[in-house]
Amino acid sequence: MFSVLHIADFALHAVLRTERDTAHRPAALFAGTSKKSIVLAANPLARRAGVEPGMTAPQAVARCPSLIIRAPRPEAENEARAVLLAIGFTLSPAIEDTAPGICTCDLRGLRLAPEPLAASAVERLGELGLPATAGIARTPLLALYAARAASPSEDAFNWIEVERDLPSSPSRLRRGEQAMARRRFGEGGRARSIGGRQPDGARRSPSTILCPAAGDGGIVSTRTAGSGDPALQRSHTGNVGQGLPTPPSAAPRGIAPERRGREAPPCRNSTLADTDRTELAAERWEEASPSPHDTIVAEDVGLSARDAVLTVADEKHFLSPLPLAAADPSPELAAILDGWGLRTLGDLTALPRDEIVRRFGGEGLALWQRAAGGAPRPLRPVVPPQTFSAQMEFEHEVETLEPLLFVLRRFSERLALELQASQHVAAELHLALRLEDETQHARSFRLPEPTADVEILFRALHTHLESLTTAASIVAVALTLTPARPLVRQQGLFETGLRDPHGFAETLARVSALVGADHVGTPRREDTHRPDVVTLAAPPAVVSPPAAPPVHDRVGLPLRRFRPPLPARVEFTEGRATYLWTEHVRGEIAQQSVPYPSSGDWWQRDHAWARREWDIALAEGGLYRLLLVGDAWFLEGEYD
Amino acid sequence: MAASAKLAELRRKLAERFPSVPRTAARVWPTGIAALDQATGGLPLSAITEIVCAAPSCGGHLLLVQLLARTRATRTRVALVDSTNCFDPASVEEDLLAHLLWVRCRGTHQALQAADLLARDANLGLVVLDLRRAPESDLRRIPGPQWYRLQRAVEPTDLALVVETPRPSVPSAQVRFALRSSHVFAVLERERATLTAELAPALQRQRQQIASAG
Repeated sequence: MFSVLHIADFALHAVLRTERDTAHRPAALFAGTSKKSIVLAANPLARRAGVEPGMTAPQAVARCPSLIIRAPRPEAENEARAVLLAIGFTLSPAIEDTAPGICTCDLRGLRLAPEPLAASAVERLGELGLPATAGIARTPLLALYAARAASPSEDAFNWIEVERDLPSSPSRLRRGEQAMARRRFGEGGRARSIGGRQPDGARRSPSTILCPAAGDGGIVSTRTAGSGDPALQRSHTGNVGQGLPTPPSAAPRGIAPERRGREAPPCRNSTLADTDRTELAAERWEEASPSPHDTIVAEDVGLSARDAVLTVADEKHFLSPLPLAAADPSPELAAILDGWGLRTLGDLTALPRDEIVRRFGGEGLALWQRAAGGAPRPLRPVVPPQTFSAQMEFEHEVETLEPLLFVLRRFSERLALELQASQHVAAELHLALRLEDETQHARSFRLPEPTADVEILFRALHTHLESLTTAASIVAVALTLTPARPLVRQQGLFETGLRDPHGFAETLARVSALVGADHVGTPRREDTHRPDVVTLAAPPAVVSPPAAPPVHDRVGLPLRRFRPPLPARVEFTEGRATYLWTEHVRGEIAQQSVPYPSSGDWWQRDHAWARREWDIALAEGGLYRLLLVGDAWFLEGEYD
Repeated sequence: MAASAKLAELRRKLAERFPSVPRTAARVWPTGIAALDQATGGLPLSAITEIVCAAPSCGGHLLLVQLLARTRATRTRVALVDSTNCFDPASVEEDLLAHLLWVRCRGTHQALQAADLLARDANLGLVVLDLRRAPESDLRRIPGPQWYRLQRAVEPTDLALVVETPRPSVPSAQVRFALRSSHVFAVLERERATLTAELAPALQRQRQQIASAG
C-alpha cells in the first residue's frame, strides 16, 4: 500500500503559514507584486468573495477589498516542503518527495491500519498551517488520485451534481451548468474531471472508503472534483517538473488542456527566469487548472482529518468514472480519444491494451497504464535530514515580538518533528537574527536536558526574546539545533536532580534577563587570598552529597559586605580609633581588634594588593570590619 | 470590639463563605534553630516567613548560614535574592554553596521581581529574599498587593519563602520573627555553631496554628 499526502495550492499555503492571522482571511497568491500580476491561487474565502485565478490585482481587490496579496516565496515553500516530509516520516521511513505539496509514503510492511495514521498526519499538517488530504491505495498513482479526490471542496459537491446529470456531450449540459463547467475547468472542464459520477445519483458521505459491497458499483463516495496530478504523473515517467501547462490553444475545443505544472505554478523558484514567460505560464496554468475549487480543504468546510483521507479498495470502480484527463493524455491523443467518444478512464481501459499500443505506440501504452492506476514502483527515498536548521527572510522588517515568535514557533515545530523522525533530541539551540543595520544578534542556548519537545524548545527562545531589544528591526532569522542522542541514563533513587530541568532553565533565563547573566549562579570561590573574589557558575544539574564537616568550626559571625566598601572617616585618640563616620553608619567605636594585615599578588604589576583590617564594635551596637587600603579608610562590611 | 477581634471575625466569616479557597497546608520545615523551631515547628512551607532584623549585627546572616547548612544536608536547592548584593561567600564553608543560587540584584524592585520568578519554580525548596539593607523609602514604596502576589505564588509550591527586612514590612507573612539584640564584640571569637544555637528570634506574628511536621 502507498499513501500520498497532498497539499492543494501548496505555494499559497506555504506563504500563508508563515504569517499570523491569515488562516481565516481571504488571501491570494500573485505571480508578482506589480499591478499586472495575476492571481495564481486563492484560498476558499477569497474565492467566495469572487477572486478567481487569472484576475489581475486591481480586479481581485475590487472584488475583495480585504484580500491579502502575497507573492510566491521559495524559502517558505522549502520550509513547507520540509514540514510535509517530516510528517511523511511519521507514516513510513520510505517516503518520496514526489512534487511540491505531494509526499508519497510506502506503507508496505505496516502492521497497523493506515487510515488512522494518515488521518493523524493530515490533522498534524493542518495544525502546522498546511491543509492536506491523503489517499491510500495499491499504487502511488492511485493514492494520488485518491488524495485529490479526498479534497473536500464545496464546489466539488456542486460539481458532482453537474456531473451526475452530465450527458455524454457537453452540448446537453444545461446552460448554467455549462457556464459553471467552463468557468471552473475551462473549455475542457468536462473532460478533465475525475470522480464524482455516482450511479445512483446519491450524494455520499465525505468519508470515503471504496468497496464493491456498497451496492452502487463499489463507489461509496467519490464526491470531489480533481484530476490527476501531471507533476506526479511526470514523476512516473521521470519528468517531474518538466514543462509548463500546455497552452489552451494547443488543445482542441472541448478537450482538456494538459495540466502539467498545476502543482508547481510558475513562481520565483521556477526555473524560468523570464518574467513574461512566467506570467504567461501562470496564465496558462490558471486556465488549465481545472479546479481552483478542489483546493478548499477539510478545515474550510468543517470536515475532520479522518474525512480527508480516502482509501481505494476497489480500483476498477474508483477509476472507471474518472475523466480521461486524470491520466494526463497529450492534447493530440486527448483529441483523438474524445473523437472516439472516450470520456472516462473506464472507457479507455475497456479497450484492449494491445490495440491502443498498436495505434498510439508507447505514448498510448503509458496512458492506458496510467488510466489503469499504474503499478507499484520503488520510491526515490528521501534521506532524513542530518542537520536541523531553518531560516527565513521576512518580507517586511519585523519590529515586534509576535511575528518573530510566530515564525520561530513554526521552525521549532518542524525541527522537532525532524529530530523525532531521526531519533535525535536537541542539545543546543543557536538563534541568529540579522538586523536592518547589517549587524547580527546571535545567541546559543544550552538546554539543561536534551529534548525534542517543541514546547520546551520554543519556551527557551521565547524567554530570551521577550527581554531582547535590538538596535534595528529584524530582516531575517535563522534557527539551528545541535542534535544529540537521547539520554538513557536512569537517575538513582537518592539523587536529587532537578524536578523540572527545563522549568529551572527557564526560570534562570528569566532571572538572568532581569538582573544580567553575570549576576545569577552558584558562587565559586577563586583560589586566591584576595578578598571578595568570587565567580558565579551555572547551577549543577545534580546537587552533590554534602562533604564531611570541617574539623574546626568557623569562628564569629558571617560578614555582610558593603559593595563597594563604604568610604569612611575615622577619628583617633591616642592612637586608637574612637569614632567612625560613613554614609550609613556612624558612631563611637567602643572596641576594636588588633589589625590584620594581608597582601598578595606582589609579583604581578598592577595586581598587587595590600590591606589592613580591624574588627570594631560601635558603642550603640553593631560589629563591623574597618579597612585601610593605602591611606584610605573603608567600612567593608557588617558582621551579622 | 478590638481591631484584631474584628479581623479574626472577618476571617472566620470569609472562611465560611468561601470554603473552596485553598488553605495553606500546615507543613513546616525545621531549621535547627531551637527558638524558632520551638515557636512554630520551623519555617512554614507554601508561605512567607518574615525575619525582622531590627538591630545591627543581630544575626540575620547567621540565620541564613544555618538555613544553608540545613538545606545542604538534604540537598535542597536554595535561592538567595540579594537586594543589595551583600552576601559574602567567603564567610561560608564552600560546601554550603553547592546548592545555592545567588541572585545579585541592583535594587529592591529588581529583587522583588526575581523573588516572584523564583518563588514559582518547583525545583527550589527555599527562597530567601534579603531586604535587610533595602532603603527605607524603597520598602515603603512596595505596594501591599505585591506581597500578596508573592504569597499567592508560594501557596501552590512546596517551598518556604523567607524575607529578611529591617522592620516589619510584609503584610502577607504567615509568620514573623524578630531579631532584636545586637551581638557583642566577644562573639567574634566564639564558634559559629554555638552562636547559632544561641540565636533567639522572637515570634511576633503567627497567622494560624502550624502543625509540626517534624
